[in-house]
Amino acid sequence: MTRAARRSRDDEPARVPGAADASGQPTGDPGPGAGAGAPLAGAASSVRTGTSPVGTGTVARTAPRASMASAASVLVPLKLSLLRNGLRQSTGRTAAYIASGVLALLVAAAQLLGLVLLRGTAHVGTVTVLLTAVLALGWAVMPLFFPGGDETLDPTRLVMLPLRPHPLTGALLAASLVGIGPLFALCLLVGSAAATARGAAGTAVAVVAVPLALLLCVTLARVVATANIRLLTSRKGRDLAVLSGLVIAVGVQVVNFGAQRLGEAGGLAALDPVAAVVRWLPPAAATGAVASASEGAYGRAAGQLLLSVAALAVLLRYWRRSLVRLMTAPDSSTLAAGEPARKESAPALERLLPEGRTGTVMRRALRYVWRDPKTKAAWITALAIGVIVPLFNALQGRGTIYFACFAAGMLGIQMYNQFGQDTSAFWMVAMTISSPRDAYLELRARALALSLITLPYSALVTVATAALLDNWRALPEALGLSFALLGAMLATGAVASVRFPYSIPQDSGYKNVAPGQAGLAWISIFGGMLGAALLCAPVIALTIWLHVASADGPTWILLPLGTAYGALVAAVGLRLAAPQAAARLPEILTAVSKG
Amino acid sequence: MPEQARDHTPDRAPEGTGAPARMRDDGARDDDGAGGAPTAPPAVRVEGLWKRFGEQIAVAGIDLALPAGRFIGLVGPNGAGKTTTLSMVTGLLRPDGGRVTVAGHDVWRDPVEVKARIGVLPEGLRLFDRLSGRELLGYTGRLRGLPGAEVDKRATQLLDVLDLAGAQHKLVIDYSTGMRKKIGLAAALLHNPEVLFLDEPFEGVDPVSAQTIRSVLERYTDSGATVVFSSHVMELVESLCDWVAVMVAGRIRAQGTLAEVRSDAPSLQDAFLELVGARGLDRSESLDWLGGAR
Repeated sequence: MTRAARRSRDDEPARVPGAADASGQPTGDPGPGAGAGAPLAGAASSVRTGTSPVGTGTVARTAPRASMASAASVLVPLKLSLLRNGLRQSTGRTAAYIASGVLALLVAAAQLLGLVLLRGTAHVGTVTVLLTAVLALGWAVMPLFFPGGDETLDPTRLVMLPLRPHPLTGALLAASLVGIGPLFALCLLVGSAAATARGAAGTAVAVVAVPLALLLCVTLARVVATANIRLLTSRKGRDLAVLSGLVIAVGVQVVNFGAQRLGEAGGLAALDPVAAVVRWLPPAAATGAVASASEGAYGRAAGQLLLSVAALAVLLRYWRRSLVRLMTAPDSSTLAAGEPARKESAPALERLLPEGRTGTVMRRALRYVWRDPKTKAAWITALAIGVIVPLFNALQGRGTIYFACFAAGMLGIQMYNQFGQDTSAFWMVAMTISSPRDAYLELRARALALSLITLPYSALVTVATAALLDNWRALPEALGLSFALLGAMLATGAVASVRFPYSIPQDSGYKNVAPGQAGLAWISIFGGMLGAALLCAPVIALTIWLHVASADGPTWILLPLGTAYGALVAAVGLRLAAPQAAARLPEILTAVSKG
Repeated sequence: MPEQARDHTPDRAPEGTGAPARMRDDGARDDDGAGGAPTAPPAVRVEGLWKRFGEQIAVAGIDLALPAGRFIGLVGPNGAGKTTTLSMVTGLLRPDGGRVTVAGHDVWRDPVEVKARIGVLPEGLRLFDRLSGRELLGYTGRLRGLPGAEVDKRATQLLDVLDLAGAQHKLVIDYSTGMRKKIGLAAALLHNPEVLFLDEPFEGVDPVSAQTIRSVLERYTDSGATVVFSSHVMELVESLCDWVAVMVAGRIRAQGTLAEVRSDAPSLQDAFLELVGARGLDRSESLDWLGGAR
């Protein structure tokens, strides 16, 4: 929906106080500040808060001494309304959201069942403890990277309300417990408890441990998100946000490493020493306590429970303090306004770009990779994972050169949701696209800008991987596969950008997808990646065939073939996407203007 | 088609000094409605334009004929549908029904002709604000298909006239609201459009910037171009516009020259309140606690 629609909604008299005001505008962002391009984030945030649905309604009335219960009784329904209203905006999105929700719950149910079936087996304690640890890690990382993590309640919007930190944290925590994510976690934790709890003591501990672990997970997510919001809203902090990209890259590596250990001869037993340590780390300690109590080790169980409670207390305290800091410190952009103007200097590379639409669009895209914190964070993450996965595996001596395709794959993802990355500034592009030809040039230029970084990067990563593995013979085919994959990702990315655009909210470090569009984002990215994999099938099949046919077949031929195939697929994808883009400009603008 | 072939507009200098062909016949601006029945084809014609969002009808089948070469104000209270209308007229929002033509070309069927002829400054949509002011103009102009050297020349002049030269290398995200409106206006003017659509161009703008914007717009309409802008500030519209359309609840209540719309009311504000049907109702007794004992 464009600004037009949003305005008319804003201007309506409030039908229901409080949360319901946010109808059709789930971020609660009427956007005078953000919409106008957020001159100063400080001004924008004060405007935002002033007009936020909460600010006008119920919470204010319960002031000045809102208790935790009354604050929670507002924030929990608010979150529900935000979710509901986000869905109400289009049936397609509702379907996508429900589909992803059902999928998540099916996985959770399967895991619950699996865990219950594991009951009584030898290493069940190890499995549950590690599962809880992984779950906690997921919660910690989710607000940073997962599109559509907890996107609804942004504490910076509540700045103007007369709420003390104590009730506010409680209420925010209660609101965080609402949603598919917490339900998923609950299924897992209940499953873990059911798998290990034996006897009255075990059951009693389980009753305490499960909510405790869930609270720890949710609080962890909140703490990380609060830290991250400060990171992303301050100019200087944006450079630090780069680090969070490495966190997930390393996290993936840990999971990968764990999975590989599992696959080895030792099986689950190999993990027992790891679990012996992890079961003392909250929230895995809470799950561990259930097992301990069931085994009769009551002292250990008590220790683990106490440790979990203490961890929760520390997290809550830290969270409260960072919330207070976040909501009282002046916004970094206030300071930025006083900064001296930068010097204009076009890097040599930029000057080499062609004239006309192609060069203009490429120049803008490349500048945004560097200057726009959201885009930058995405790129750094992709670059980091793209190099870490193949090289770490190679260093561990168990990698294959095909992991080098990760570089092309991760960077190829940047092609998805191209117009969402523009935010509502897409109107400037839309005003200059009047034919499929214009749209083609626009999309092609964006793909070229992406390739300008990705091609040399993935080549470099592939060469480095080949060097570490000392497998130079496979270099040409790995390069060919990488380029074919990149071409396929550019093709599907262009189509997905046009068919499934979604907003990337810029005013909050919390969110990567506007509320209610999470399903759309998943469809766009994962549907696109699946499509890309399918498109690569011929090249992959040829690779396999060449290897099967003879041990020393002419696999070098995959370099020219893969490259040509990638270029062809990309060209076809862009050609297919262009007329649709030209025909769907208003719809795309509507979809990307929600944040 | 070469990438730079889309500047269909006749080339006028940005100062608007040389466009005798498009001067109005009466040669002078008037606020009293002497040119009430334009003989030239309208700059913008809107027929039966509809838009609904869910239950709510934002624009309820409006008809408009906006004369060329005028300073046109689209006025109405908040929520009247002004922004929705302007979004649909400029091709940024797809209408549910109706037809819009700009200089005789259908906005939805003939975007090539229309998009080259119009400049837009929407409200509530971002700019590419991680570019500096100068970069933004360079980007917009080149995307519009103008040659690079010409873009840079025009950008320099616009930045000077709009008093942005000192901030041209600052990122737009660090601009104030007034500066942002001005850079948006510069971007909208860069390709020398025939019709300029501005949504709330003076909203949140300081008086100095407002005066700058105003003088640029007046110079622009003097050259024979058309400005359509929306506002809910009647005094502003009254002092700037020679043609007014009043929009209320998704419908056009009145349109015509300022004098025609004002009729015998003492000011446009009074005429407007009468049209809207707000007759100074005293609802204050329901707020009897306000200002009472605390």
